[in-house]
Amino acid sequence: MDIEDLGELIQLHGKAVYGFCRRLAGNKPDADDLYQETFLKAMEVRHKIDMNHNPKGFLISLAIGLRKNNRRKFAWRRRIAPITLHDEAVNAVGLCEEEATPEAAILSLELRRAVQAAADSLSNKLKIPLLMYYTAEMSVDEIASALNIPSGTVKSRLHQARSAMKKILEVEIP
Amino acid sequence: MSDSEKWDRLLRQALASVEEPERELNESLMKRMEERSRMKRVVKKRISAGVLVAVFALAMSITAFATKQLFSSKEVAEQIGQHVLAEAFESSDAIEINDTAASGGYSFTLHGIVSGAGLTELGDGAEQQIHPDRTYAVLSIVRQDGTPMPHTSDPEYGEEPFFVSPYVKGLKPWQVNIATMSGGYNEIVVDGVMYRLIECDGIEMFADRGVYLGISGGSSFYNSEAIAYDESTGEISVKTGFNGVSLLFDLPLDSTKADPAKAEAYLKQLLRKASKDKAADEAGPVDPAEAELANYIAELTKKVPDGTLIPESVQEVTYDEEGRINYEYDGWSVKLSVEMLFSEGQVGYSDAVQFSEDDTSSKALLFSRNGSGVITGKIIVLN
Repeated sequence: MDIEDLGELIQLHGKAVYGFCRRLAGNKPDADDLYQETFLKAMEVRHKIDMNHNPKGFLISLAIGLRKNNRRKFAWRRRIAPITLHDEAVNAVGLCEEEATPEAAILSLELRRAVQAAADSLSNKLKIPLLMYYTAEMSVDEIASALNIPSGTVKSRLHQARSAMKKILEVEIP
Repeated sequence: MSDSEKWDRLLRQALASVEEPERELNESLMKRMEERSRMKRVVKKRISAGVLVAVFALAMSITAFATKQLFSSKEVAEQIGQHVLAEAFESSDAIEINDTAASGGYSFTLHGIVSGAGLTELGDGAEQQIHPDRTYAVLSIVRQDGTPMPHTSDPEYGEEPFFVSPYVKGLKPWQVNIATMSGGYNEIVVDGVMYRLIECDGIEMFADRGVYLGISGGSSFYNSEAIAYDESTGEISVKTGFNGVSLLFDLPLDSTKADPAKAEAYLKQLLRKASKDKAADEAGPVDPAEAELANYIAELTKKVPDGTLIPESVQEVTYDEEGRINYEYDGWSVKLSVEMLFSEGQVGYSDAVQFSEDDTSSKALLFSRNGSGVITGKIIVLN
């Protein structure tokens, strides 16, 4: 795999990987860093990437590993910059654009934030499969292969994540 | 629509990503990938002394830099990704040294040093990344015969260990050195030149006593065979007749920045900590980053009993001419004095465990000694 192949990976899976990094990191500056680091790491270990076998899952698993390893760095950053405000502003912009699509408009801003906050409050064990499934749009099998756990475990964690979310949110589904 | 379908739909809508990487982000990413295709690596090591010898190695990439000239301290810091520190090396408090000396077939250049105010003047943001109470120095190492230093990805990298540490006149080098002063280093090899950026607790407070930067070979800890200490006079000197690297640079610190009271308090704490370490009764580090690392190492230690032994790694150690044990397996090469692992007459497992971690796995190296004195090393893959 060469640089051009990696460019193709960015084209094919960049959006899913970025979306996942965005949700996992919780703010844009960290998401941008994590996204870039994920692909730079992918370049280092490109011999391990099989374009025909779940490359998106591989990239997502790299992002998870990097996030875990870099938690100190992200912790530093949190202390340096008041990113929450920035994050809210970005969210608001993102959501305004999103409101243009009828389906997305179904969810109120408050509900969306509540769901995202509930997801953030989950442990990584539940949150990561949840984000892989709903944000990165991976199948159960793809998640199982990326996390190197049985499909049944992924299903069980997704189930637990949904139950926990329900409990946290306690809202009526529209 | 069932309840579960409704929830599924809600989550799908709320958690779906609507954001895409910006075009500039992808362009910058592609550029960085191209740069890294001429990749160099930097090795970071944190040195820890005491009962638990934990060597924690990380590898990360940096961009290539094609030049035959030696880098300045600032450039080395930049190459290692320490941009704030690179700025600090440009500050008025940085001391540019650029002294070169040869020893044991190598040529060493001490480029520069910065500590104290040079770091604080960078403001609050900088303090989060570099510590104003720490000292940073850059050293480069080349072979005198002109052959390149092994790249950090080469198997022979690290085979010749160097212990680079500040020493203070009048203080025992085995008690006050980079390891005991919560130090560590980053290392890169560019164009056959090895650069080491060391950091440890601030040494400016000792400026009135006389401070050296010592380099000794043959061990990754203070080597009394290479650097001598006269307990009666407090003099630290290069040991004549040592067949290897042994070198001392005088550090031209500004003696007006000495702080005897702070130094005394620091030493009191350091020596107390050392004795507590010996008793395996350390209260734990206070600095959050240190505490996190200590916790992390503790977590790794907990995983050792459930880890998977690599059967091929179980090897009896060999001994070098100086009596140190030598263990090598799959790129993991360790030379240590027996005293660092076992107390006199101790059998069974050593309390000193080394950890190595890369992107895919964490491993622990354990040594055990049987009743006949045979020391065996083994590597455990941590789950």
